[in-house]
Amino acid sequence: MSVDRRNNRRDTEGCSVVTANRLLDGRIVWLDAQGKWQLTIAHACLFPNDGMEDVLRSQSARAGADNVVGVYGVQVEQTAHGPCPRTTRERIRADGPSVHAEFTPLWQPAPAVVSGS
Amino acid sequence: MPHSSQPPADVGRYAYDAVDRTFLKQRVEQFRDQVQRRISGALSEDEFKPLRLMNGLYLQLHAYMLRVAIPYGIVSANQMRTLAHIARRYDRGYGHFTTRQNIQFNWIRLEDTPDILNILADAEMHAIQTSGNCIRNVTSDQFAGAARDEVLDPRVHAEILRQWSTLHPEFTFLPRKFKIAISGSAQDRVAARFHDIGLLARMGENGRAVFEVYVGGGLGRTPVVGVKLRDDLPEEDLIAYLEAVLRIYNAYGRRDNIYKARIKILVQALGLGAFRDEVNAEFMAMDRSRYRLQPEVVAAIRARFASPVFEDASAASAQLVAQTKADPAFAAWVNINTHPHQQDGYCSVTISCKPAGGIPGDVTSAQMDLLADMADQYSFGELRITHLQNVVLGHVRKDNLFALWQALSAKGLGTANVGMITDIIACPGLDYCALANARSIPIAQKLSQRFSNAALQQEIGALRLNISGCINACGHHHAGHIGILGVDKRGEEAFQITLGGNSGEDASIGQIIGSAMSEDETVDAIARIVDTYLVQRKPGERFIETCRRLGAAPFKDAAYATA
Repeated sequence: MSVDRRNNRRDTEGCSVVTANRLLDGRIVWLDAQGKWQLTIAHACLFPNDGMEDVLRSQSARAGADNVVGVYGVQVEQTAHGPCPRTTRERIRADGPSVHAEFTPLWQPAPAVVSGS
Repeated sequence: MPHSSQPPADVGRYAYDAVDRTFLKQRVEQFRDQVQRRISGALSEDEFKPLRLMNGLYLQLHAYMLRVAIPYGIVSANQMRTLAHIARRYDRGYGHFTTRQNIQFNWIRLEDTPDILNILADAEMHAIQTSGNCIRNVTSDQFAGAARDEVLDPRVHAEILRQWSTLHPEFTFLPRKFKIAISGSAQDRVAARFHDIGLLARMGENGRAVFEVYVGGGLGRTPVVGVKLRDDLPEEDLIAYLEAVLRIYNAYGRRDNIYKARIKILVQALGLGAFRDEVNAEFMAMDRSRYRLQPEVVAAIRARFASPVFEDASAASAQLVAQTKADPAFAAWVNINTHPHQQDGYCSVTISCKPAGGIPGDVTSAQMDLLADMADQYSFGELRITHLQNVVLGHVRKDNLFALWQALSAKGLGTANVGMITDIIACPGLDYCALANARSIPIAQKLSQRFSNAALQQEIGALRLNISGCINACGHHHAGHIGILGVDKRGEEAFQITLGGNSGEDASIGQIIGSAMSEDETVDAIARIVDTYLVQRKPGERFIETCRRLGAAPFKDAAYATA
C-alpha cells in the first residue's frame, strides 16, 4: 500500500517513530521496542532518522504478518509526555480527532452497545 | 426498467423488487468473501483496496470510513432508523451527511462491514457508486416532488440515470469519478454548473420534458464552471446523449495524470465546440432506438414512487399565522427554514444540522431516530438529505410546524439558519480525512459560534460560507460566497480565504484574496469581511452582490487589517 510522501518526510537528523493502521479495524498503531504494535504513541520506540529507511523496509515486509497496513515513519520531538509528532496531522493521529475529546486512542464502546442493545 | 409492477411501499422512494433485493444480497456475499480473503492474507492490500472502494469502504485517518449511498438524497423513516442503528452499533454514535447527499460513518471495522452491508441490503440500501472512477450517486433537488416552482419531478429521471449507470460495463473504470446532478426546476438548487454533467429540466412541447445539459463543471484542484452543451435535449434521448458524452470522455479523457483526468480538463483541452462535435458524432452514430427512453418506461419508473395523499389543509395557513404571531423565535424558523409547496396548506421544512458551535452535517444516532419519527409523524415517512448537509421533510402541514419545531428544538435540530452564514458546508477535514491538510470542523465551529446571534445573522442575510480542508474541495469552498481552504505550511495548518463564489444560475468561482492565516486570524478576518459588507452594502443587496459590485479590494483590506 503506497504512503503519501507528505506523511513520510523526515530530517537527516532527529528521531522518528513507526506507525500504521490495523487491518481489522483501521485503528492507528505505533511500533514499540519489542516489535509489537500499540494503540498509544507513548509506547512507541524512537529510531534515529538516519536508520529509518531500513526500519521501514523491514516493518513493511512484515506488515501482512502483523495485520497492519500503510507502514510509515513519523518524525517526533521528545517531550516530558513522550514522543510528540512535529506535524498537526500526526498529532491528530496520535491523540484522536480534536473535535471529540472522548475519542482518544484507547476509546472503547460502552458494554451496552457492544451487546447490541 | 422496473422488473415487476408491484405497488410501491414508501412515499418518494423508488420501490425495490425481488430482482433488486437478490442483487444486493449477492453483492454482500461477494464482498464478505473478499473481506475474508483479505483477512486470511489471500488478497494483498493493493489487491483488496479497489474491491473495498467499490463497496464504499475507505481507510481514513483513524479507522475505516463507510460511505452509504442515498440515491438523490431520498431516505425513508425506516431506512433512517437503520442508519441510526448502524451508527449506534458499529460506529461511535454518529453519522455525517455529505455534499453528495450520502452519509458516512467514520469508525467502521473491516470485519463488521459485510454485516453492515447486509443490514443495509435488508433496508434496500447499499454503498455502491460511492467511490471509484465510476458514475457516482446522482444528486437532485432536495425539494423534488414538492417545490412550488417545479416543472417536473427530477427523482424519476435521477432513478433512470441510477439504473442506467449502476454497474454499466463501459463506465465502471472511467478516467476519473463522474458526478451528475439533476434539477426539475428552473432554479438551480443542485449546483448543476459544478458537475461533470448538470441537467436542468423544463417542460417542452407536447408536455414532455427537455433538459438543458451542462458539462465540464467541477471544483477540486481546477475549479471550472460548466458550459451548456445542449439547450433542449428531449427526454427520449436522455440516456443516449449521456451515453455519448460518457463515451467521448472514456475515449479521450486522460488516464496518465490523475489531476487532469476529469471531464472538465478534456472539455477545456478540446474546446466546447470540438467537444460538442465529438459528442454529436457519437450520438448520431448510435443505435438511438436501443437507447430511446419511451414514455411507458418513464411512466413505469414514476409508478414505483408512491405519492403522498394530501389532506384538506385549507385552515392550516391561518393557524400557522396565529402561532407565528405568538412566538417570534418560531416565526423566524418558519421564515428561514421552510420552502413553498405545491399543495396549499403544506410546506417543505429544512432541518438544520448546523447548531451553534456544532459540527456541520453531523447527527447522532438519537437525532437520526428523532428525524425518522418526525418524518413518520409529519411528512409521510420520507426524508431528504441535502447537498448542503441538512435534512428536508418534504411535505409538512403548516399547522404541524409548531409541534415539529418544538420537538426538533428539544434535540438540537431547531436552529433557524438555513442559507445564513452559520449554515456552513464543511468537509470532515484533517480530524478524519487522510487527504486533508487542515481541520475544517474546528474553524467551522468557531465561525458558527462567532455569528450565532440570530439577529446578527438576519442582519447579514443570505451568505454561503464553505470550508474545505484541502484542494480537493469536498467542502465546495470555491462555490462559497466566502470560502475557506485549508493548506499545509510545513506541517502546520493554515487557511486561505476565497471570495465571490456562487453555485446558482450565475455560478462563479471564488478567488483567493491573499496569503494563508492561522485559524483564529481567519475567523477574525471573516468577521471584518462581514463588517465591511454591512457598511458598504446598498439597500437590499446580498453579500455576493456587494462583493461583485465592489470587487475583492475592500474585503481584502479588511481581512488583512491589523488591529
